[in-house]
Amino acid sequence: MTKNKLELMAPAGGFDALQAALDNGADSIYFGVDQLNMRARATMNFTLGDLEEIAQRCDEKGVRSYLTLNAIIYNHDLSLIKTVVNRVKESGITAIIASDQAVIGYAKSQGVDVHISTQLNVTNIETVKFYALFANVMVLSRELSLRQVKEICDGVINEDVRGPNGKLVKIEVFGHGALCMAVSGKCYLSLHTSNSSANRGACVQNCRRKYKVIDLEDGHELEIDNEYIMSPKDLCTIDFLDQLIDTGISVLKIEGRGRAPEYVATTIKAYREAIDAYYEGTYTPEKVKEWFARLETVYNRGFWGGYFLGQELGDWTDSSGSKATVKKVFLGKGLHYYGKPKIGEFKIESQFLTKGDDILITGPTTGVIEMTVGEMRVNNEVVEVAKRGDEVTFGVESMIRASDKIYKVVPAEDVDDKFVKK
Amino acid sequence: MVIISHQREKCIGCNYCVELAYSQWRMSKKDGKATLIGGVNKKGFHTVRIDDMEYEENKRAAEACPVNIIQVKKI
Repeated sequence: MTKNKLELMAPAGGFDALQAALDNGADSIYFGVDQLNMRARATMNFTLGDLEEIAQRCDEKGVRSYLTLNAIIYNHDLSLIKTVVNRVKESGITAIIASDQAVIGYAKSQGVDVHISTQLNVTNIETVKFYALFANVMVLSRELSLRQVKEICDGVINEDVRGPNGKLVKIEVFGHGALCMAVSGKCYLSLHTSNSSANRGACVQNCRRKYKVIDLEDGHELEIDNEYIMSPKDLCTIDFLDQLIDTGISVLKIEGRGRAPEYVATTIKAYREAIDAYYEGTYTPEKVKEWFARLETVYNRGFWGGYFLGQELGDWTDSSGSKATVKKVFLGKGLHYYGKPKIGEFKIESQFLTKGDDILITGPTTGVIEMTVGEMRVNNEVVEVAKRGDEVTFGVESMIRASDKIYKVVPAEDVDDKFVKK
Repeated sequence: MVIISHQREKCIGCNYCVELAYSQWRMSKKDGKATLIGGVNKKGFHTVRIDDMEYEENKRAAEACPVNIIQVKKI
């Protein structure tokens, strides 16, 4: 049934996350520029001037690049969307992800490939047929069950629904990451409380907080059993990825343009392995367990299978923030890389680094390096511990740069407000 | 005298300031961000001095700004 291999789409909130996605096996990446995307508040780090570099880095790896332009569009944005679409065309970005008809219409007129955004909440085959007049790829609403996803995928084949490129429309679903308490982002809570519209990418995440319910008749305050009643756990599909692929989907999207580069690295690597295992016939419960443990190490609010498995209502999280099992603690910055002996030099600006520590090096060109520190030297002497202020050298397999930051990775319970206890 | 400052680069183009203080704000058709009328740009901060009469409406615009990039001060 699945003719082509599932495409793994990774989020890129910045150059470091982009590189992490490229290095860990993403087939495509998506990103936003300036203000007209759903993470306008979280990630302001790409500009229209970066498009060429993004396209070039992706092209080198044969990875497709998609620009999100999916906010609500007002009259005053019309000129900007034309500029953005024109720049997408010039720079060789593969497609734009759009929801507003103004964007879809203009992109089509310019011959720019369009993907339908989750903001349009595609939930049935007739809607797929309608948008097939404009788009070759469309993401389904996150609120559908596996059965409903399969019906839509079957419908595309049975009814021969083709996009502007003449090929069968590709169906995409969200596979991992944050879920929204409203129907995929169509929420006005943030606007009502803070004038800050989620539909313009400025969600203040009211749903992620704790609330008290007061009975107005007798004034009783109801405690809600330590549950964040509006905050769903994060979506994770790695344990039923086989069933998800069997529905006939073509693209699996990983949420998280607001996430750190190591989140992208870990998540993409796990899903890459899982997808490959599915096609090689080696997708086993043992492997699922191992991928799951790895996914738990990075930012998460606890996992559930979303609406795919047909739960009646959201599964609420019991924590305000992440339940990641490890945390990163900032240590310092990169200084220099000696290419021949493969040695990196770092300045320790905070805390201390001990031989044998697990560390994380991230940067806009480097992406993410995860490793364990071997022999270290400070002032040419072998040391066990490098302290604040020290310039330390140790072996690093790939190149590091002055734009890199170095972190220590420690179990979450050992960290108190970013300070290592022991 | 009242001084308004606007960190324009961070604007997400929500249009609230224009709705609340039309005398001082417009949406730019060029880049979709708000523009402070008469503002002088110094290192990304656009500032203008206005009459006390217009304090209230601009203060409301500053309070409504979802990304907190407008400051209105009486001097």
